[in-house]
Amino acid sequence: MWHCRKLPGSLKNEDRHWGSSVDRRGSETVRIGIDVGGTHTDAVVLEEQSVIASTKVLTSANVRDGVVNALDEILAQSSVDHTAIEAVMIGTTQFTNAVIERRELAPTAIVRIALPSGELVPPMIDWPDDIAEVLGRHTYMIHGGRTYDGFPIAPLSEKEIDAVISDLIAKNIRLVAISGVFSPSDPSQEQAVAARIQEKIPDVRITLSHSIGRMGLLERENAALLNASLLPLADKVVSSFAGALSDRKIKCPFYVSQNDGTLMSAEFASEFPALTFASGPTNSLRGASLLTRLNDAVVVDIGGTTSDIGVLQDGFPRQSNIAIEVGGVRTNFRMPDIQAIGLGGGSLVLDEGRTIGPQSVGYRLVTEGLVFGGETLTTTDITVASGAVNIGDATRLSGLANSVVETAVATIHSIIDSGIDQMKSSRDPVPVILVGGGAVLVSRSLDTASELYRPEHSGVANAIGAANAQVGSETERIVSFRRVPRDQVLEEITDQLKAELEHAGAISDTIKIADIEEAAVSYMADESTRIRVKMVGDLSFERRGTS
Amino acid sequence: MTVTITHEDIADLCTGSVFLATGGGGDPYISQILVQEALKKYGPVDLLPLGDLPDDALVVTIGEVGAPSVSLEQLPIGTECLDVIDRFEEWVGRKITHIVSFEVGGANSVIPLIAAAAKKIPLIDGDGMARALPEAQMMTFAIEGVRPSPALAVDYTGGCVYFDTADAVLYERQVRNLAMAMGGMVFTAEHPMTSEEARRAIIPGTISFALALGRVLKENFGSAALVEKPLRKLFDASDYGVLKHLYTGKIVDINRKTVGGFDVGEAVLESVGDDRPPMHLSIKNEFLVAKVGGEVVASVPDLITMVDHETSSPINSERVHYGQRVTVFGIGCPPHYRTERALKVVEPRAFGFDFDFVPIEKL
Repeated sequence: MWHCRKLPGSLKNEDRHWGSSVDRRGSETVRIGIDVGGTHTDAVVLEEQSVIASTKVLTSANVRDGVVNALDEILAQSSVDHTAIEAVMIGTTQFTNAVIERRELAPTAIVRIALPSGELVPPMIDWPDDIAEVLGRHTYMIHGGRTYDGFPIAPLSEKEIDAVISDLIAKNIRLVAISGVFSPSDPSQEQAVAARIQEKIPDVRITLSHSIGRMGLLERENAALLNASLLPLADKVVSSFAGALSDRKIKCPFYVSQNDGTLMSAEFASEFPALTFASGPTNSLRGASLLTRLNDAVVVDIGGTTSDIGVLQDGFPRQSNIAIEVGGVRTNFRMPDIQAIGLGGGSLVLDEGRTIGPQSVGYRLVTEGLVFGGETLTTTDITVASGAVNIGDATRLSGLANSVVETAVATIHSIIDSGIDQMKSSRDPVPVILVGGGAVLVSRSLDTASELYRPEHSGVANAIGAANAQVGSETERIVSFRRVPRDQVLEEITDQLKAELEHAGAISDTIKIADIEEAAVSYMADESTRIRVKMVGDLSFERRGTS
Repeated sequence: MTVTITHEDIADLCTGSVFLATGGGGDPYISQILVQEALKKYGPVDLLPLGDLPDDALVVTIGEVGAPSVSLEQLPIGTECLDVIDRFEEWVGRKITHIVSFEVGGANSVIPLIAAAAKKIPLIDGDGMARALPEAQMMTFAIEGVRPSPALAVDYTGGCVYFDTADAVLYERQVRNLAMAMGGMVFTAEHPMTSEEARRAIIPGTISFALALGRVLKENFGSAALVEKPLRKLFDASDYGVLKHLYTGKIVDINRKTVGGFDVGEAVLESVGDDRPPMHLSIKNEFLVAKVGGEVVASVPDLITMVDHETSSPINSERVHYGQRVTVFGIGCPPHYRTERALKVVEPRAFGFDFDFVPIEKL
């Protein structure tokens, strides 16, 4: 069972308690959430909605050992019966880091179906050289694709496709991405080309752009390329996860969390590793939602140097609208809209408290902060001096003028207020959830906050978010409601998504529309609309018999 | 003074052109890549000052017409702007001696550079709008009585449609509908001009101005409060004449819908730091009218530009969203748009607003 800590002063307290009390002798099933970060591997055991064990260990170079260590910790803490574990959910930054560090990316070809369009804007044209060279710049362009209203740009040519295949064979390339103009509206050409390549090169692995990205050919093609190049690493990482679980005799299915707060199966993650990009902030937001049971709120994750501010809408992170670069490559992945501000627990306090950050002592807070025996005045010292929290040696702050403390506290709150104000989606105050190690900095009310929440276990919010992710599916098309009525379009789309979700393991009657986004296509007089629909559902867990 | 444009200038030129696009014009990303590659391959382009135009010129304007958002998916071939020149010359039986841009706002500021570099046809430093505006009859070429045709449009198949149309409004309807039928975007060569017509109709110096503007924005990257002074200096010394700070505030409401092939809507800003009443910005692809407390503070054909308050990056109208901190500048339009003939097609009434145009310097 967990509850939210009572906040001081006039703050409204989230005093709702939930979750059944801990009783592991019964047949209660539990879930394990694991967050494999670059530095730390966090793990939690959840029973229903309650955290019954949590840990933070170092990530190992081979991933597997770190996960095994974390599992040992939480299994010992909770003493759950292995047969009671219904699912393990894993969030990881391994693939994002591989792209950023240009390591473990395999040589990959891209086949674009678009000619004559795009002839002078070939694939990878705007990639940084270092990462382009790792993949090899094996780019091919063939005729085909469709216009926004579905008319063929050019017919597919078997001869062209076969020439590409001969070259792939000659170069011994076994990883291929395929993109086509308006393939999110009509994927048939991407599929036809893939089938032909697969037929001639049986051991090839292919990523189709329509299955991974949305409108915007270059960005979607880049996403498909990055994904294909990560496939060998994905096999390795996913089998490390599987190995760690089987080492500890955990036989339930496991899932990997995506950048939009939904889950994919282990097999799906092996095919779409790029969908894990930015899953970290997403899981943190989702975790905050679950810890407070709030679906609509602003989440402020206060770290040592910066705070990440994100927005929960219907329990999911609000997504960003701009093209996002991953390791210098433009993509249009679904990413949470995160605003980072230069304020954390280690931020320097200057100018009598009127200026705070963005400089920070960062992880050296525990040696350089005044209350820890250091010589640097930080936001943590201010918070201790204000009496809001008791950390370190408060007597070291006796020389600090009250006016400085008062000014600095006001500055801290005004910086966070201003950050929240830029992110919230209406002018009214909103519920605000504070997570992260620096959450103590907020000791008073915020003008932008209707209520403030500071849940326990917020340090492992990522793992909690992972453990509770749903399955989701989304699609985007350009349609004309003048030609096909909106209801009919929506029905077609939702039928398709529902089938995809059921295939992915969602329980039919929990499947619902999470988001519909419509945008008019400018200058088009036939009411052309870009429509994006996302549906989500709860994962079904097959209860395994006890052995 | 002759200005030379190299591939390294294109990013700055695009930033300047998005600023001058007053919210319209679309994302120039693909065009930017194409032009950078063309200039790397063919070398830099000298812009010809309008004053150096010889007396026996045949000036033709080239660019793209259609929906910029569609062309982010269906990319251009990249050679359309060369194709329109070849076909135009073949059709009229004369060599084009000079080319000029439709509009300096958005992608069309850079597309003619591809033709200038590849075909070595001199590009005039100037355009037909000094900003972005939605329709062909609003170009100074049409306003100054230049016939839109002979004109032609090349589509994504490489096919071509030829126009023999005397009236700019009719031509606009024809070419707009063609673009819709042919994948959302076509490239045109149109409004052929004699030297005498070109000198009268082209707004001079706008391409080099957009480049200078982009450089000022890059060199002063940071708060709009700090970039205002260098910007004002730049605009004061130009044909635009005046740049005014209109408002700094937060977007508190934005609504948009498509009517008759245009994005129309309104953005509402609330002041930050003082208690001025809210600003209302009317949008029809571009920002057309700015009101504070019901009073007009700037209107078309003067320019209304929105920038991110922290970075001074210009913001396209389709990217405006709740919560952004922005600064809005008003800028005088060049004298070409202040004539009675011009105002008839670009004044607020031409866009359905019920008030007369008052120049920004008198507001």
